[in-house]
Amino acid sequence: MNYFFNKNGPLISTYLIISIGFWLIFLIIIPQLYMFDLSFRPNIPTLLRGGPDDVYTLVHYKHFLFGSETSGERYNYVDVRVFLDTILTAILITLINLCFCYPIAFYIAKVASAKTARLLIVSLIIPFWINELLRSFALRILFAGEGFINNVLIKMGVIDTGINFIAMDVALYTGLNYAYILLMIFPLYNAIETLDKNQLEAAEDLGSSMIRTHLRIVIPHAKAGIASGCTMVFMLTAGALATPVVLSSPNTFWFTQLIYQWFNMNDNWPRGAAYSVVLLTVSVVFVLLMMKIFKVKIGEIVR
Amino acid sequence: MKSQQALNILLGIYIFIFFTYLFGPLVIMSITAFNSAEFPSVTPWECFSFRWFNEGKIAYDGQHLAGLATDWRLHEGLITSLKIGLGVVLLSVPIGLSAALVLTQVHSRFRTAFYSVSIMPVLFPGVIIGISTVVLWDRIASMGGGGLATQLGRNGIFLTILAQTCFISTYCFLIFVARLQRFDQTQEEAALDLGASQTQVFFKILIPYMMPAIASSCVIAFLASFENYNTTVFSILSDQTLTTVIASKVRLGISPAISSLALVIILITLTVTIVYEVLRRREDEKNRAIGSDALYAQTLDSRLKKIDKSEFSIPKPIFGVLLVIIVCIFSFNKLVENEIYGSACIAAKEKEKKSNFAEQLKLLQKNADKASQTSVQNGETGQKKEFGDIFGDPDLFKNFGGFDTKKKEDP
Repeated sequence: MNYFFNKNGPLISTYLIISIGFWLIFLIIIPQLYMFDLSFRPNIPTLLRGGPDDVYTLVHYKHFLFGSETSGERYNYVDVRVFLDTILTAILITLINLCFCYPIAFYIAKVASAKTARLLIVSLIIPFWINELLRSFALRILFAGEGFINNVLIKMGVIDTGINFIAMDVALYTGLNYAYILLMIFPLYNAIETLDKNQLEAAEDLGSSMIRTHLRIVIPHAKAGIASGCTMVFMLTAGALATPVVLSSPNTFWFTQLIYQWFNMNDNWPRGAAYSVVLLTVSVVFVLLMMKIFKVKIGEIVR
Repeated sequence: MKSQQALNILLGIYIFIFFTYLFGPLVIMSITAFNSAEFPSVTPWECFSFRWFNEGKIAYDGQHLAGLATDWRLHEGLITSLKIGLGVVLLSVPIGLSAALVLTQVHSRFRTAFYSVSIMPVLFPGVIIGISTVVLWDRIASMGGGGLATQLGRNGIFLTILAQTCFISTYCFLIFVARLQRFDQTQEEAALDLGASQTQVFFKILIPYMMPAIASSCVIAFLASFENYNTTVFSILSDQTLTTVIASKVRLGISPAISSLALVIILITLTVTIVYEVLRRREDEKNRAIGSDALYAQTLDSRLKKIDKSEFSIPKPIFGVLLVIIVCIFSFNKLVENEIYGSACIAAKEKEKKSNFAEQLKLLQKNADKASQTSVQNGETGQKKEFGDIFGDPDLFKNFGGFDTKKKEDP
């Protein structure tokens, strides 16, 4: 501690300690802990907080699994189904994104010339900075009942009446795929970029086929990038709210929309907090799983 | 080698498709901003107009669709967003900087733990950061007893700044860490040996060295704050930012005004990106000039084919800009010639649509009557899912007493 003060001088030390303390404790740790605590509390008015009714309870988690006590169902099929749907879809979208982006990342990193690569990267960045809502809106214009795709298809004579893409969830899945595709490309690109091109040439000279080269050389080399991209895409997809708000059909729910409902419409904050904790747990488990599968450190996932 | 070439061509096609996928929706959305129709679309093209950038219109069914310039909600949201963005930049850049500095000094035993905690916010879903901030501050506000804490805890802008700072600081932190890794510590030592105080070292050596990173983290922090929705929607409480305004608009019914807003944002993003890129390139060139020639030659060799170099030496952007301008002028002339621009065209289309609409209403009413006669209540008559099946209820028009079809036929 003394060393720290000596090294930075009193003024800077104070600044460092205050700002980091504020961030780590006040913005990161305490809010999460408080939310965790709240998720075990009953839903009572603010005035009764701290009173005799304010006891720890598992009622919200029970509600998530088994539904309200008045319903006859054995499990809370609606919520659990939304939850599983969200997670499975997120995993699926992550895999699709990975397959989509791998060739692009490889092309930019190893095949394209430096200037083309630079140009491609810059043009990838541009849509990335446009609001997620607006990008979803763009897709909604395409997929709407009287939207662009339907009109073109009808004009070409492929179909007679418009396809309802939004009710079929095609729009939602495309939107989620579209929204976070770039977060897959950049980590992959960064990882493949560091690969020595001589290794590729050596493999080719030794008669390795294209696929084999990728399986044995490029992918093992890029595993940190793959882990990082998959984690980011999964996290953002599972925690997406903007895209489902714009593109989901009235009878499809995303898990975050359920949380939103408990918070803003049903005014049951502890239950919303409990559902958030469920989502957070899944996210953490997914990160740990990724670290385990790809044998990478957490520092390599976020860069 | 030949199969390799074929593969590369295939890759090129794939890249092309990919970029079409990436940009196509944005381009089409931008085009819809110029269509005068109420529903943002390209194919039933009505008239070329700037109305969605200006005043908007009262739609033929009585709904008011505000244009960009007259929509006060958007303007208020924009101002709130700018305030929040400024607050987030002011908080998160210093936090990120200090965290990055401490990371270099912290004992190696704690380094991993410190790093893990610092990057955690990026791995949290955005909604959760928003929620946790709100629940905590609600508690603080209720304990505050009407004082300053209560006011702050119920202030959506303040909460949003805190919630966004939580994870945007991590972005800044990562940028600073990357820059600090190349910092030459001997500079600091030299300054200290020459009698500078630690504070002087910080302001005279470290800050100037970090300046590019500070600039880029300011830009990124602001943009990230500006476009954030997931966190903001919880923490903003009763206020509205630009993104929440857009979201509520999109949910209520989509209007081309949003397309025009998107086009404006796209253009701003484009400008910022290009400026940023030019600045960065200039700096790269400066660095390259400083760096050793041998290294430069080596990197050139491995990354650049000679043919490409001569190809790219033509100043293409100039031709591109010229071409765009010429195409714009030409197509605008064509538009005026074919009378699909201007108020006359819009008026004609309006009239046509109004009569159509009245007919449709009559038809719908007839259908509704028929439906209620046969007591079909399952919403089969709703033709357009877009409007959430409002026509699905056969009694809707009956209870409403029918639309005022008289008024529609007036003009």
